[in-house]
Amino acid sequence: MPDEHDLTRRDLLVATAFVPLAALTAAAQTGPAALTAGQMKTLEAFIDRLIPTDELGPGAVEAGAQIYIDRVLAGPNANEKAQFLEGLEAVNAFAQRTQGAPLADLPAEKRDLVLKAIDENTAQELPQGRQFFNRARRLTLEGMFGDPYYGGNKNFAGWDLIRYPGPRPAVDAEMQRMDAAPAPYHRSAWGTQYK
Amino acid sequence: MATALKPVDVAVIGLGATGGVAVLPLARAGLKIAGIEAGTWMDPHRDFHADEVFNNIRRQVTTSPKAQREIPTVRTGPGEKARQAGAHPMMNAIGGTSIHYWAQSWRLKEWDFKTRSETLRRYGAAAIPAGTTLEDWPLTYDELAPFYDLVEDEVGVSGAAGNIGGRLTGRGNPFESPRAKEYPMPPLRGSGFTDHMAETARKLGWKPFAPPAAINSQTRKGRSSCVYHGFCGNGGCHVSAKGSTAVTTIPEAQKTKNLAIFDNTHVTRIETDGNGRVTGVRYLRNREEFFQPAKVVLLAGYTYENSRLLLLSKSKPYPKGLSNNHGQVGRHYFGHWNSFVTALFPYDINTWYGLPAQGATCDEWADDSFDHSGMGFIGGCSLHVYTERHPIEGAAMNTFGRAPGWGSAWKKFIHDNAGRMSNTYIQTNTFPYETMYLDLDDDIADPLGDPVCRINTGGMRENERRSTQYAHGKMEQWFQAAGAIEVNKSPAFVPGVSTHAYGGTRMGDNADTNVVNRWGFSHEAPNLGVLGASVMGTSGARNPTLTAQALAWRIADYLVKNWKSVSR
Repeated sequence: MPDEHDLTRRDLLVATAFVPLAALTAAAQTGPAALTAGQMKTLEAFIDRLIPTDELGPGAVEAGAQIYIDRVLAGPNANEKAQFLEGLEAVNAFAQRTQGAPLADLPAEKRDLVLKAIDENTAQELPQGRQFFNRARRLTLEGMFGDPYYGGNKNFAGWDLIRYPGPRPAVDAEMQRMDAAPAPYHRSAWGTQYK
Repeated sequence: MATALKPVDVAVIGLGATGGVAVLPLARAGLKIAGIEAGTWMDPHRDFHADEVFNNIRRQVTTSPKAQREIPTVRTGPGEKARQAGAHPMMNAIGGTSIHYWAQSWRLKEWDFKTRSETLRRYGAAAIPAGTTLEDWPLTYDELAPFYDLVEDEVGVSGAAGNIGGRLTGRGNPFESPRAKEYPMPPLRGSGFTDHMAETARKLGWKPFAPPAAINSQTRKGRSSCVYHGFCGNGGCHVSAKGSTAVTTIPEAQKTKNLAIFDNTHVTRIETDGNGRVTGVRYLRNREEFFQPAKVVLLAGYTYENSRLLLLSKSKPYPKGLSNNHGQVGRHYFGHWNSFVTALFPYDINTWYGLPAQGATCDEWADDSFDHSGMGFIGGCSLHVYTERHPIEGAAMNTFGRAPGWGSAWKKFIHDNAGRMSNTYIQTNTFPYETMYLDLDDDIADPLGDPVCRINTGGMRENERRSTQYAHGKMEQWFQAAGAIEVNKSPAFVPGVSTHAYGGTRMGDNADTNVVNRWGFSHEAPNLGVLGASVMGTSGARNPTLTAQALAWRIADYLVKNWKSVSR
């Protein structure tokens, strides 16, 4: 899709107020929108263990899921921002208490122990742990596997990981065979500049 | 003081799936219509995108501001505080829910229209579910069939007839009631996976078929055929292959110049005179109040809003709400039981692309297609496997206990399996019950101070629980025969806010138990008609829209033929 079409679309979207401001002003941003720099480091340390970079390819941080999360908490999901950040800080305090350092300063294995304790509901004195874990995981999936337009899924890393063939505008019968493996269609629904 | 507008013949409240159909026969007959709609036109280029976050996460096609402020609350019954649901299935747009629905366009069966009498005849009084307020419909399938034909042609339905004039064709649904003719278009194509499932069903001795859909399988009437790209559900069609009323009946009606559309309105009340006749519609537009006088009012909102607007429209002749002197508004409501069985295959099934209406359906275990003697329930479920899967949904898949929920082992699991899982759509014959109804909430109101609709579910229904459980066993058998290595059956649950919401203004001959008569007009206010699934007394085991649309055409047809007596 030619870029000028995307500009038109974006203008129209501003007019209908559909897209969060954060997404439209992304280019002008230098730092996080909803999180402080410190919170961003903690979030990255957390989601890096949810979806780690490994031999199968980029993980959540490399794919930019934290950018997605930051933007939605500043925009469409602003109503859960306070609760989310409270949960994030509580997890960080739990890491300090049980592993001796803030999450971002811990090696991967120790961060895994923190996540494991929350996931298995054995984290003492962390009542909001489970809820935070579920929301953080859900938003990480949205960031990693959603359209790159929203800040995550950089270079289509998420779509390639699960072998999703991409949002083609039209699909023929051959591409719908069970054994078909259509070439990855690396395009955002919003144009070619989003990768 | 409301600004009074120029009187019209008919005011239609809501230009969605049903109001959008009714305006066509009315406009063609020369009646002057005001189409009053809370939303406005949607633009395929601007509003419809191949984007899961846009359509399915943020619901930016389906989330319209007015409906968002009117989400119903849900509770089991009196004594319990109702909680507001997080999302709503209502829609404000020209075309309404027909913009984003799956477009599965079924006819009900003869049995659905006379379930009570047929059950009594075949199984006896003990087989009638306890506590149900089930009645036979005041019309038969045969009376509605010509209107199904008309709607199928106007909105463009693809499908294969299974039964033409009582003769089985060997294709399509052999359990359907007789059709006069073939569908306007052949069915949508299958995918590799749905073809495999159909083949498996045939080996089991079942009779699978490609279900009917209001989606072009070929270019027709200037609209494109479906392009199977995988963003149909909760999204609008970017090539207008989906036969929403916004691209079919409404533009056709506009050609007559007899339909004036008033968009971005918020209808607040239907007004009445001292004799109990309706006089028109009061609404807000840009914070200004208007009154649209009309000789006849057709109420065509979503099921929840139909009951709500009637209950809100109190007047001297109707102190408990319009057309509610018999206390029947909100009664006989029920949400369709929809449930899911999921399966994991040991090979790629590639269901990313396609659309929910692209599928294989089996109707063996629905309605009264099988002998229910000794089963402990009536009705059953249609079984439908389909395509269209999105990447976030794919990555969020159930791991069937085969992997943890995060980390490298999980990553490997979804790498292998995200494209190997199938979902199903299982629709249960659902019935109305004494303790299931709609009323107005005590606490939660919209910004105008009008209470939202409250759903009282009445709790679990043994009949539907059993029929769903039985069908899940059949679905499991189907999946296993097809090679699935895991099958997960979701537990049955009582629907809260539903995309298939029925009743509240039920149609029937008896004014003591029904709001509208056999033609769809109020038993109490003779120039008020009601459109939508809110008039339906049974659900069938299939999607409601085509039936609601056929009823809408029928009420419009009746109005045209009886204009003088109804409008006076």
